Amino acid sequence: MQRTEFRRGFLSVLGGLLLWEILARLLLENELLIPPPSSVIRSLWRLGLSGELNRHLLATLFEFVCGFSTACVVGILLGYLMGRYRWFDDLMEPWIATLYSIPVIAFVPLIIIWFGIGLLSKIIVVFKITAVAIMLNTAAGIKTIDPTLLELAKSLRLSPWETTYKIRLPAALPYIITGMRLGVGRALLGVIVAELMAANAGLGYLLRDASETWDSPKLFVTVVLLAAIGMGSFTLIRKGEQKLAPWRETAEW
Amino acid sequence: MKGILKLISIFGGGVLWHILATRVINDSALLVSPLVVIDKGYEMLFVTADLYPHIYASSSIFFLGIILATLVGVPLGFLMALSPVVRDCLNPWMTALYSTPRIAFAPVLLLWFGIDLATKVAIVFLGCVFPILINSFYGMRVVSREFVEVGRSFRLSRSRLFLKILLPASVPFILSGLRLAVGRGLTGVAIAEWFGATEGLGYMIFFAGQTLNIPVLFVGVAVFALLGILGFQVLKMIEEFASPWRKELEVK
Repeated sequence: MQRTEFRRGFLSVLGGLLLWEILARLLLENELLIPPPSSVIRSLWRLGLSGELNRHLLATLFEFVCGFSTACVVGILLGYLMGRYRWFDDLMEPWIATLYSIPVIAFVPLIIIWFGIGLLSKIIVVFKITAVAIMLNTAAGIKTIDPTLLELAKSLRLSPWETTYKIRLPAALPYIITGMRLGVGRALLGVIVAELMAANAGLGYLLRDASETWDSPKLFVTVVLLAAIGMGSFTLIRKGEQKLAPWRETAEW
Repeated sequence: MKGILKLISIFGGGVLWHILATRVINDSALLVSPLVVIDKGYEMLFVTADLYPHIYASSSIFFLGIILATLVGVPLGFLMALSPVVRDCLNPWMTALYSTPRIAFAPVLLLWFGIDLATKVAIVFLGCVFPILINSFYGMRVVSREFVEVGRSFRLSRSRLFLKILLPASVPFILSGLRLAVGRGLTGVAIAEWFGATEGLGYMIFFAGQTLNIPVLFVGVAVFALLGILGFQVLKMIEEFASPWRKELEVK
């Protein structure tokens, strides 16, 4: 079963690429509109050798990691407080919910005005997107904890710290990871948009550079790379989800 | 009690924002008081009325994109759920397209369709289609076996089985998908209007950002937020109306 599935998928990808190559070479013959896969690969090779690719990849990765890790810490902390204390939740909720419902992109111009066109503004974009998602999900996780677990903690005379550390946080873990997963996709979009708008390095910058110089193979290289990064990070999070919260069944996609 | 604290939070945040804007930062190119934003919003809504063309332009792109996404996403999701061959063949492509940040497609679409309505609708479409497709797929997949067996024992034909059982059972999932699609579609509108648009809320925000016109920028962001909340609520109501027997179902 698993193998037929894989074989079909593999054949479909191979066939699609072949069709693309034939279409691009024989029918359209227009590198600008649709470069064939072979010239996309050649372009990737060239970019990799010149070190240009490395520079942009590292810039985006750095921004992403900085923003994401601080967002995890702040998001879980504030989300925990929101879940535990009603008054804190009431105070935070209107602002957080508003922030959450505004499209990421609408914020980017403002953040660039405030924090400049360097790395900092992109880190802030990633931070804002991820922190809000993690906060809301952590709060939901802490709030919906099974009361019997808390009673168990009480009958075992766990200290408040132990209850938090051993009962509440593990119970909220699946929610926290859901928040992270939602954050990853949106944050990736956010960082690319911010780089497209104003930057001098990063994959978003590369995208803009390629499109403004009408270098279609380079443009497609960037698109394929972004697809690979997106898929990679989703897989990573899903693996983490299965490992950290195996009792929770995850969707196939 | 709950409502009071929320009110205090909103009011207190507003006052803090006002003080920050007027006393601490005091630079209208960085931050303006919420009063100025409200004033500007009022002016753009009722005095000069120049907000409406933007809203109109944005919403036409939005609705075209999301309707097209529904028309494509739902049948394709059903097809993938009912036929393993189609599912396995499309799966890798869908996963790749879904997990790529949508902005990456914008320059490519621009290259193909030019600065045109088609490009913008396509960007919104790409954002909306996957949550709808995935949820339709799941809806059809998780239809309770008992329902199908009941249908079989009544000797329903295939088409009637589809219409009477499979389709209604997957409605709540499709609606959840639509709810997710609204948020992504709005982001799509903002992205789309940033590439060579001359009107629309996204254009308004970017233009305001580039000319450091902070009040207009904030008005644009606020309108986006309101539209997002509105769309979300409307769909929630439809959801309760169309599938009252199911409270919470979501595939994120």
